[in-house]
Amino acid sequence: MILLRLITWPYVRKHLTRTALTLTGILLGVAVFVGMHTANQSVLFAFQRTIDRIAGATQLQVTAGETGFDESTLERVQAVPGVRAAAPVIQAVANIGIRGEGNLLILGVDMLGDRSLRDYDLEEDDEGAVDDPLVFLARADSLIITRPFALRNHLTVNSTLVLDTVDGPKRFTVRGIMRSGGLASAFGGNLAVMDIYAAQRMFGRGRKFDRIDLAVNEGERIDAVQVRIERTLGPGFQVRTPGSRGREIESIAAVYRLSANITSLFALFIGMFIIYNTFAIAVTQRRAEIGILRALGATQSQIRRLFLTESAVAGAIGSVAGAAAGILLARALAKYIGGLLSEVYGIGERAEEVSANPNLIGLAVTAGVVTSIAAAFLPARNAARIDPVKALQKGKYESLSEGENRARRSAAVISALSAFACLGLGGRGVLLYTGYLLTLIAALLLTPAAGLWLSRLIRPVLRRVRPVEGALAADSLIQTPRRTSGTIAALMLSVSLVIALGGMARASYASIVQWMNIALNPDLFVSATQNLTARSYRFPPEVGERIQNVPGVAQVQLVRDARVLYRGRPVMLVAADIAGLVSRARLPAIEGDTDRMYREAAAGKGVIVSDNLAALENLHAGDILELAAPAGMLRLPIAGVVIDYSDQQGSILIERTLFRRYWNDDTVDLFRVYLEPRASESAVRQEILNRVGSTTRLFVLTNREVRDYILRLTDQWFSLTYVQIAVAVLVAVLGIVNTLTVSITDRRRELGVLKAVGALRRQIRGAVWIESLTIGFLGLMLGLALGAFQLFYALEISRRDIAGIRLEYQYPLKIALALAPVMLGAALVAALGPAETAVRGSLVEALEYE
Amino acid sequence: MNKRRSVSAALAATALMAPVLFGQDGRQIIAESQRRTRSKSQRYEGALQVMDAKRHVSAKRWNFIRLGSFGDSKSLLRFTEPPEVRGVALLIYNHPDRASDQWMWRPEIGRDQRIALQDRSTRFFGTDFSFEDLEERDVNQFDYKVLGDEAVDGAKCWKIDSTPKQSKSSQYTHSLLWIRQDNYVLARLEGYGRNGLARRVLYRDLQNVQGVWTARTIEVFDARKNSRTILTLDKLEYNVPLSESDFTLQALRRGS
Repeated sequence: MILLRLITWPYVRKHLTRTALTLTGILLGVAVFVGMHTANQSVLFAFQRTIDRIAGATQLQVTAGETGFDESTLERVQAVPGVRAAAPVIQAVANIGIRGEGNLLILGVDMLGDRSLRDYDLEEDDEGAVDDPLVFLARADSLIITRPFALRNHLTVNSTLVLDTVDGPKRFTVRGIMRSGGLASAFGGNLAVMDIYAAQRMFGRGRKFDRIDLAVNEGERIDAVQVRIERTLGPGFQVRTPGSRGREIESIAAVYRLSANITSLFALFIGMFIIYNTFAIAVTQRRAEIGILRALGATQSQIRRLFLTESAVAGAIGSVAGAAAGILLARALAKYIGGLLSEVYGIGERAEEVSANPNLIGLAVTAGVVTSIAAAFLPARNAARIDPVKALQKGKYESLSEGENRARRSAAVISALSAFACLGLGGRGVLLYTGYLLTLIAALLLTPAAGLWLSRLIRPVLRRVRPVEGALAADSLIQTPRRTSGTIAALMLSVSLVIALGGMARASYASIVQWMNIALNPDLFVSATQNLTARSYRFPPEVGERIQNVPGVAQVQLVRDARVLYRGRPVMLVAADIAGLVSRARLPAIEGDTDRMYREAAAGKGVIVSDNLAALENLHAGDILELAAPAGMLRLPIAGVVIDYSDQQGSILIERTLFRRYWNDDTVDLFRVYLEPRASESAVRQEILNRVGSTTRLFVLTNREVRDYILRLTDQWFSLTYVQIAVAVLVAVLGIVNTLTVSITDRRRELGVLKAVGALRRQIRGAVWIESLTIGFLGLMLGLALGAFQLFYALEISRRDIAGIRLEYQYPLKIALALAPVMLGAALVAALGPAETAVRGSLVEALEYE
Repeated sequence: MNKRRSVSAALAATALMAPVLFGQDGRQIIAESQRRTRSKSQRYEGALQVMDAKRHVSAKRWNFIRLGSFGDSKSLLRFTEPPEVRGVALLIYNHPDRASDQWMWRPEIGRDQRIALQDRSTRFFGTDFSFEDLEERDVNQFDYKVLGDEAVDGAKCWKIDSTPKQSKSSQYTHSLLWIRQDNYVLARLEGYGRNGLARRVLYRDLQNVQGVWTARTIEVFDARKNSRTILTLDKLEYNVPLSESDFTLQALRRGS
C-alpha cells in the first residue's frame, strides 16, 4: 500500500490522460459486455416475467408448439385425475395503432374457468360488470385492460378501442380495468383480456386453442399429473411448467445470444491489449524508478505485486465505471433487441425496465479485473526482473531480444499447428473453439515479430516518401516494438473482427439473395401480418379462393408455417401444396435426387429438411424423421435436403394435406400469388385489397417489398454487431492515442535534440503522424490477414455449432478496402493531439536532463 | 261426501305425521319432497333482481322450460332482457347417476360451449346462483341426517344436513335444508364450503300451481360477495306441451 501511495499515485497524477485512456479501454470492454448482456437478459427476463405474471396460479401448461390444438383436448385434460382446474388460452399480439403504444398482448380466456387460475384484480366498480358474463361474455367486443394502459390512453369502462382483427379493424369496449401489478403488469402493462371464443375469431384460429393452463388438486404431485396428461394426450403435446416455456424462448434466441456473447467478449479481449500496452509502457518508462526501488531493497515480488495491484485497481475502477456505462447502454439497447427478436423470431415483448443482474455485474467486474491483471502480468514480471544496474541505462529496453522473439515464434508455431490439429480432429464443439482460440494466440504471439519485420520492410518506402520524418517514424517503431506491439495487436484484432463479421454479413447476403431468387419468386405475397415473422393472425383457406378469383391472378399457393419442437429444438414447420410450389420455385437438393425429393414430398411420402437442420441434428436423406403432432407421431423419410434460410433453427417442409391431417389445421399464414403474364402488379394488388381486403385483414406485399424486408432483417441482425465493431475499433484507436502519447513523452529528449539541431516543427509533426499511420497500417495489414482466419472460424462456428447454416467463404475485399481509410484516418486523428504536444514541448525542459 | 272428505283429511294428516310416526329419515323426506313437485314439464318467466354489496340493482329476465322430473330432466333457460344479452342460453341435461351436462349459447359469438364440471361453482351469469345450483339434486348422491325441527317463516320444518357422497363433485362440503313439514316444500337451503357459509337460499310466496306447491320467489344470498339475487317466477305452468326437440343443441342455437 505504501508503495502504491508513494510510487503509483504520483505517476498516475502525472499521466492523467494516459490513465484515463487505459481506464477507458477496460471501461469500453466491460460496458459493451454488460450492456449487451443486460439488454439481452432484460428482454428475456421480460419474456419470463410476462409468462410468470400471466401464468398466475398455473402449475402446468399444455401446448403443441405454435400450432395450437383442437378444443376437444380441453375436456381430455380436464378429465385427467388430479387436475383441479384447466382453462384454455389464446395468446397473441395485436396491433392497436396508437402512436407510441406499440402492440397489445391479447389474452383470450374462458372467463368461467379462468378465474380459478388467474387473479384479474379488477377495480371495484368493474367487478360486477366483468363478473357478469351477460355483460362480458355475451358481447364479443368485451375487453379488460390494465390500469396503466387505461391511464396512458385516457380509457375508462365503456370506452372503445379499435383493434385489428382478421376481418379488419373492429371496435372493442372496455368492460373492466385491472389494478396495477400482478397480471396487469405483464407485457409492460400492454395487456388486454378477452373471451377466448372472441379471440379465436379475432385472430382466425378456428376452433383451436393455443394452450391449456392448469392447476392440480391439493396434495397431488405436479410431476405425477404431468406424466398422466402426457400419457393421455400423446407425444404431440408438451406439458411443462410455465418457467420452462421461458427457456424455450431463450433457446429460440440462442443463436442471437451466442453471437452477442462472442462479440462482447471480443471487446473485452481488445481492452486487455490496451491494458497490456499501457503497463508494458509504464514498466519501460519507470525503469529508473524501479531500479532505485530495487537498489533500496525492494524485492522482486514487491515490485511484481506493485504492478499487479496497480492493474487490479485500474481494472476495478474501469470495470465498475464500465458496468455503470453498460447499464446505461443496455437501456438504449433493450428496446432495440426487443424489436429485433420480435422481427426475427416473431416473439413480441416489451422490455420496459432494464434490471442489472448482480451476478452479471459481478462477473463483468471480475472479468475486467482479471483481464487487467492478466494483461499486466507480463509487464509486472518484466518489471520485477529489472536489473537495478541496467535500469538507469537509457535506450534498448523497449526492444525485444532475439531470444524473446524466438520463444514467441516457437510458441506461435506450436499454437498454429495445434489449431490445425483441432480442425483435423473433426472441428466441432470444444475442438472448434479451441482451434479458434489457438489461432488467435498464434497471431498475437507473432504480432511483435511481424510488426518488426513489416516496419523494417516499409522503412525504405517511408524514407523515400519523407526522408526525415519517414526515417524517424520507422526507426521509432523498429527500436520500440514493446511499446507498439500491444496497440498493433489491438488494431489487428479489431480489423480481423470487422473482416470476420463483415464477411459473414456478405456471405449471408449473397446466400440469402441466391435463395430468394429461387424460393421467393411469387409476384405478390398476401400476409395476415405486416411483419412476416409474426403469426398472431391466420387466414381461413377460403381467402385463397377469393384471391384466386381476382382477375390477373394465375396461381395462389397456400402456406402455413409454425414453430414446432423437433428433438427439443424449436424448428419451423412449413406446410404447403408442394406440387404447386415446385412448379414455380424449385430449390435444388443438396442431398437426394431433386425430382424424386419433390415427387415423394408432394405425395406425402417424405419430408424435405433444410440444410441447417440437417447439419445441427445430423440428418441425411433417407433417414426417418419423427415429428410429434397432436393427432399422432408423423414418421416419414427425409426425401431430400435443401438450402433454406426460412429459419435459423431449421425448417421442415411437408405437404399441406399432411399438416391438415396431423395438426387438424387448415388455416393459412401466407398466400404466394403468381400473376398472369401481362397482369399489372399494382392493379392486381389494388384489386386484392378492394375485393378481399375490405372484409379481411391482409397485407399485400410485392416481391421487392418482401426481399427488402428480409434484407432489412439481415441488416438488423448485423447492425448490433456493427455497433460492437465500432466499439472495438474505438478501443483500438484509444490504444493508438495511448501509444503515441507515451511515445511523445518518452521521446521528449530525442525530439528536443532534434529541435535543437534544427528540425522544423512540421518535420516533427510529420514524424509523429507517420508513426501513427504506420502503426495503423501494420495493425490493418495484420488484421486483414488474421481476418481471413477469423472469417473461416466464424463461418465454421455458425455452420457446425450455432445455426448449421452453410455460407460460402468469400473474403470481403470491399470491406477490407473500406477499412483502410477508416483505420488510417483514425490513426491520423489519434496522432493530432500527441503531435501538437511534441511540437509545442519546451526545448529547455526536454534537454534538462542533458 | 263428508265421510270421504274426513278420510282425506285424516290421510293427509297421516301423511304429514308419517315421518314422525314412522321415524322417517332424511333421505325419505327429500325423496318425498321431490316426488311432490313431480310434473311432466314446467315453464315460467323468471324476473331477476341482482343486488351487489353496494346495493346496486340490475334486472334481468329469462324464460325457463323443463321436460321431465327430478334426476332425469332437461331444461333450457334463455335470457330475454336486457336487450344486449337477449338469446344467451343455458341447456341442462340432468342425469340420475352423475353430474349434469351443461352447454351455454352465446348468439353474438355464435358458439355453444360446454360448461366443464370444474367450472360449476362459477356464478351463473352474474347472478348469485352458481351453475351447480341449477342442477337438480339427485337424492342418491347425498347422505342425509335429520338434525331436528326448526321453524322457517313460522312454518315448522325438518332441518336436514346433506353431505355429497364421494362420487359427487360439489363446491359445497355440506348443505342444510329446511323442509316444511306441512307440505314437504323446501323452505330454505344453506350451502357450506370450506370457509363456512357460501350461499343461503330462501323459498317464499308458496303457491299451489296445478297441484304443485311452488315457491314463486327465490332469494339467494352469496355470503362471500354479500350480494343477493331475487328470482320471481311469473306465468308459471306445469305439464305444458314440450318435446325432446326443444332441448337439443340445435334448439339451443335456434332460439336466439
